[in-house]
Amino acid sequence: MSTEEQIEREGAVATRLDDAWVTIVWNDPVNLMSYVTHVFQTYFQFTREEAEARMREVHERGRAVVSTGGRERMEVDVQAMHGYGLWATLQRSGA
Amino acid sequence: MRGFTVTDGAAVAYLDDEESTVISRIVADVAELLGADAFGDTGAEGLGEPTGMRGEADALFRSIAGLDDTPTEPSDPALRRLLPSASREDDEVAAEFRRLTEPDLRATKAGRLRAIGEQLNQPGEAWEVSLADAMATAAALTDVRLVLAARLGLDTDEDAERLHAEIELATHAMDTDAHDDLGVDPERVWLGMLYQALTWLQESLLQCLIAPEEEQDV
Repeated sequence: MSTEEQIEREGAVATRLDDAWVTIVWNDPVNLMSYVTHVFQTYFQFTREEAEARMREVHERGRAVVSTGGRERMEVDVQAMHGYGLWATLQRSGA
Repeated sequence: MRGFTVTDGAAVAYLDDEESTVISRIVADVAELLGADAFGDTGAEGLGEPTGMRGEADALFRSIAGLDDTPTEPSDPALRRLLPSASREDDEVAAEFRRLTEPDLRATKAGRLRAIGEQLNQPGEAWEVSLADAMATAAALTDVRLVLAARLGLDTDEDAERLHAEIELATHAMDTDAHDDLGVDPERVWLGMLYQALTWLQESLLQCLIAPEEEQDV
């Protein structure tokens, strides 16, 4: 691997980490599986299969990352999830 | 009570007068908890904690008046569930998010609850929700269920299963007229049954939204 390539890669990683936040949805005993799936489909435009997979991840593992992007974008997503009564948080990716 | 089914392009459920009154009241209670002006017949019995409720309303008015533009995490667990913290580990992120979003979230949630109050206020036993409004109604039902769940202490899936078992036991005891020796709190059972009824109604409403999609998939 050449030195030049390595610098480029490190630069790319640094930029990505700087901008990358995630929205996490947490499990709760109230929200219905059908409802959570439908919220994921309508808000995130996930396919039925993808929405169900994320919903199961929330239910079985206690949490799932549902979106990735800049902090402001994640704030919009978290606000939407709170609007639907889902318990969502944002944090830096990899934190 | 009859759950939602699609009738002439709308989701329609049927509630008798008593069911309609109970649901109208709890919907108004949750709106009041969010700081909306009281609407409908809220009666004297509220599910919110009276002092906390007033305090929240005052905080909202102060916020509107620009006297206090930094809302803090609510002390009432039910309200905290409606307006949760957006960060588990970073107080600065959570405070910034709350400052930016809380007034909007309160208004959105209260508005959806008010719409249910208006739907239930229509004459007759039918509770009609247009399919376009169905997700807003489902979201409002979620908010009501979140408040009931907080009052019932449902924090985990196991808590919810335990409540279900308690209610089974209580209804069985009522059927067999042996409810004196159970030690079950009747108010808890009543709230639990309301929670279950709203869960069932919400699920039927969701099926109205999901079923047409499945037909399209085929």
